[in-house]
Amino acid sequence: MRLVAAVVWLCISFASPGFAQTLEALMAKLPDGNFSQREEVVREIAATGDDRAAKLLEVLSEGSLHQRKSDGAILWVTGSRRDLTGADPLTGENLGPVEPRSTSAIKVNNSLRRTIRAAIGSLRLMHPDPVRRMEAAEAAFNAPDATQLEAIEAALVAEQDSDVAAALTQARAVTILETDAPLSDRVAAISVIGERGGRGALNALAGYRASDEPEIAVAAAEAVAKIERTQAMWAQVQNVWFGLSLGSVLLLAAVGLAITFGVMGVINMAHGELIMLGAYTTFVVQEFIRTSMPELFDWSLLIAAPLAFLVAGGVGVAIERGIVRHLYGRPLETLLATWGVSLVLQQLVRSLFGPSNREVGNPSWMSGAFEVGEMLVTWNRFYIILFAVAVFAGLLLLLRGTALGLQMRAVTQNRAMAAEMGIRTGRVDALTFGLGAGIAGLAGVALSQIDNVSPNLGQSYIIDSFLVVVFGGAGNLWGTFAAAFSLGIANKFLEPFAGAVLGKILILIFIILFIQKRPRGLFPQRGRAVEG
Amino acid sequence: MTEPLISRRIGIFLALLFVVTVAVPLGNLVIAPGSTGHVPSHIVALLGKYLCYALLAVSLDLVWGFAGILSLGHGAFFALGGYAMGMHLMREIGDRGVYANPLLPDFMVFLGYSELPWFWYGFDMFWFAALMVMFVPGVLAFVFGWFAFRSRVTGVYLSIITQAMTYALLLAFFRNEMGLGGNNGLTDFRDVLGFDLTADSTRSALFVLSGLALGAGILVGRILTTSKLGKVLVAVRDAESRTRFLGYRVEHYKLFVFVVSAMMAGIAGALYVPQVGIINPGEFSPANSIEIVIWVALGGRGTLVGAALGALLVAAGKSYLTAAFPEIWLFVLGAVFILVTIFLPKGVLGLIESRRAQKRDTLVPDAKSAEAKA
Amino acid sequence: MRESQLYLNDVNRSFDGFKAINGLSLVIAKGELRAVVGPNGAGKTTMLDIITGKTRPDSGEVVWNKDTDLTKLDEADCARLGIGRKFQKPTVFETLSVRDNLMLSLSGDREVRASLFHRPSRDEADRIDGLLDIIGLTDDGLRLAGDLSHGQKQWLEIGMLLAQEPELLLVDEPAAGMTDAETMRTAELLRSIAGERSVLVIEHDMEFVRALNCKVTVLHRGSVLAEGSLDHVSANPEVIEVYLGR
Repeated sequence: MRLVAAVVWLCISFASPGFAQTLEALMAKLPDGNFSQREEVVREIAATGDDRAAKLLEVLSEGSLHQRKSDGAILWVTGSRRDLTGADPLTGENLGPVEPRSTSAIKVNNSLRRTIRAAIGSLRLMHPDPVRRMEAAEAAFNAPDATQLEAIEAALVAEQDSDVAAALTQARAVTILETDAPLSDRVAAISVIGERGGRGALNALAGYRASDEPEIAVAAAEAVAKIERTQAMWAQVQNVWFGLSLGSVLLLAAVGLAITFGVMGVINMAHGELIMLGAYTTFVVQEFIRTSMPELFDWSLLIAAPLAFLVAGGVGVAIERGIVRHLYGRPLETLLATWGVSLVLQQLVRSLFGPSNREVGNPSWMSGAFEVGEMLVTWNRFYIILFAVAVFAGLLLLLRGTALGLQMRAVTQNRAMAAEMGIRTGRVDALTFGLGAGIAGLAGVALSQIDNVSPNLGQSYIIDSFLVVVFGGAGNLWGTFAAAFSLGIANKFLEPFAGAVLGKILILIFIILFIQKRPRGLFPQRGRAVEG
Repeated sequence: MTEPLISRRIGIFLALLFVVTVAVPLGNLVIAPGSTGHVPSHIVALLGKYLCYALLAVSLDLVWGFAGILSLGHGAFFALGGYAMGMHLMREIGDRGVYANPLLPDFMVFLGYSELPWFWYGFDMFWFAALMVMFVPGVLAFVFGWFAFRSRVTGVYLSIITQAMTYALLLAFFRNEMGLGGNNGLTDFRDVLGFDLTADSTRSALFVLSGLALGAGILVGRILTTSKLGKVLVAVRDAESRTRFLGYRVEHYKLFVFVVSAMMAGIAGALYVPQVGIINPGEFSPANSIEIVIWVALGGRGTLVGAALGALLVAAGKSYLTAAFPEIWLFVLGAVFILVTIFLPKGVLGLIESRRAQKRDTLVPDAKSAEAKA
Repeated sequence: MRESQLYLNDVNRSFDGFKAINGLSLVIAKGELRAVVGPNGAGKTTMLDIITGKTRPDSGEVVWNKDTDLTKLDEADCARLGIGRKFQKPTVFETLSVRDNLMLSLSGDREVRASLFHRPSRDEADRIDGLLDIIGLTDDGLRLAGDLSHGQKQWLEIGMLLAQEPELLLVDEPAAGMTDAETMRTAELLRSIAGERSVLVIEHDMEFVRALNCKVTVLHRGSVLAEGSLDHVSANPEVIEVYLGR
């Protein structure tokens, strides 16, 4: 691309009046002659295509380009009258203080300023780097200027990059609207802008709906309506995306519970704190990496994930063996005891790490965003959705395809029979609980990227997680999946109308009413196995 | 064989309660500061607060201890009662607020309200507020219970949705648009029925009222639970579907006791607010409601006085520990949750009972069946 | 033919595609004693669930006393009509005394208000004493029901059933966990009740069924396979096939 652009540049340079000269030589000619000769020099400067030319012309346009009286050198003079500083206009290098009256400004008039503006425009529009050309085309679109039309058209002729050419065509259309070009050209321009869509196009066209010329007004109104329709559609897509994002967070938080509560029937109120432990594990891993091996920072989450699984899973196994085991068949007591555990874990973390938020950084691959259509997608949200789905899929595979999964299902369906068959039910219980807890730890790794890591982290997820599992139907992983995403999306669609808090309240009320209607959730577990 | 209304245990508790209710105000008002036996004013307020907690615990014991409904939303009924009283106290400030608006409470002036929201009307009258203290929690409990019990939501599912209920209210009351003071809640009260809330005599009067309310709450609970209705509730707890097959409309019984309990919790909240001087949305937090459960579990569920004792124990422990060793309070509370559920399923009262039974067993070998009758 | 107490016509009910009750038709006459037998999964318990309002049938008629449609009613309604049920697993109120268990079962107003203002009466105590006598728990009236032995709980539940004074007694495997002597006493008790009330007994124990000496209905895969005297149905080749074929 670069090569092509350079070749084009050469052609234009040769085609322009006069002979191609260096920027330095042309700059030296600026103080000479009258305004029209100076315009000529400006055009030649533009024709050099030199990177430094735009800045030089800007300085000239501002009237800050001076000639030193003593040696005729050209200086860029800035500062107040008392405290002037000189700089090299081409390199920007500071040349120290300048005595007042030791230089004289190179004068510009309005006509010259217009020429300069056009010259700067074409310089930018024909920059060798297509990224910069794109920026220039966008700038020309957003601030249409009739004087730039020629430059835009020249650039369009020369443009080889199809994306930039498209942007230039749009910029040309906006600019044409500013001129008194023939009606048909301007109507065509409106349709070009309409095709482009987006907020910029909307801004460009909005004013023309009130045009005196009926054809323009009608065309503009149609185009605006079309853009608004498209935007409304994208707004819906955006809502769905935000909903999926929230849903993935809910899924991560709830899927571990779907194991402990849904499969085992154990209410684990410390589930949120296990998520918190996962987040703190991420914090500790990142701290270690920051101090010992900063080059591994981008890998920190991948290192933290298995550790978080082990930490939370280990704590989970300890909770099961130490407490929950004694309370099977007494779900309400389990609820209370695990609530006690959650208080202890919260205070433990508060004592160890302090009560305030701890900083967990995003690795570079999770920072920033990319665009899809008219929608901005942040990488961290994107990866969290992928991660949630991956965790879910992994869990399904584990339950369906491994011996442990088989034993888990056997134990939950008929404990006595499973024990008869030689399954060590106690061990399976501990592992099942540990699995649910470990997944909470994984959730913590992901949530550390989008939420504050503090001892209260878990509290904010526990109620939502339970509602997701109950809504989906305890004992059914797919129910949890469907519930998480449908609640996430419903929440985001309610927010624009009701506001975030009221939206959430409405969702809570909806779930409360839903459970009245279908106490076993969306996808109830079959058979007699699960009795609350 | 019907149990006596005043059993030995209830009798002892009520007698002690009476002594405290009389002695504390006397110690505050009659005995001069500095001399032995004087009860400082802040202790009166603190003990008054504990008595409100105890009443709240009794209300939860009615539904959980007897009917087996584990409500994780009783804090909401308490808070609603508190808000109803708080609204009255706000109206009673009148034009003595910072903005001296005769009609609008300060926070409304601050938020730019031009007129009083409709639901604030009537709260300037004490009798109306007193009615609302019971009516608002009662209606919420009725509507919620009507739906939940009719569709046979039971066990942990019911616990989870009661928790969702209080959580939704928490979020709602945090909103300024609710017209109830947003996250600051209602505070800066001046007086109640014309009596200065900061005066020692008013505090003592509120303390006595709280003591009487607790005694009355236990008596009402006792009347309900020793009646045939109480036996039906226990039957529901033991074998819900059996009760249905006997022809009892289980949902009506549950609804009745749930509403009575919610009203009792509302009264506790209404007595609480003037003594602590503030009511804010934090009272709706789900953690508060779960804490009430452990009061009942610690004291002994299904005993009424056990619930009250548990509340007093935990509240006193909290006051002491959060001041002396703030770091360890949650460890202690967490441990109480864990240890009580595993080792003391019948609570402290159950422990005392079985100790006594053991002792008697060694004296009279045949006493075990006699114990079972009690 | 005597007046019908309960009439089931072409009743169907399936769970997740499994047809638990499949075109079941059954008539119980007033005062009749009937035994229902059948292998596991024949639909016996589901049939009781449908009669007592616990489960709604997908289709079919369930008629009480010729005019009342039971399919629209719930458990409490059915109980108030006069249908009493004893569960397979003895279900009593464990933390209430034996007397209280019976007191709650005594026929009478079941509404909240009535329970709240209920006062124990001499008459009530006499009725409870009478029942205790029948079920052989006179000395255990003040014990907690949870402390009774399995057999005693069975008797207590039968007592609770009698206390309700129902028109129809549905009795699910009453002999389980009883000694032989107790089993015979139960059979005798049920026989003595029949005539005045209708009784439907579900039972596995053929000795017990024989002792009942009544019409037998054999259920298989949710419908009636054979009906008649015990000797008649046990001679039926299909019944033999079902019972011995696997």
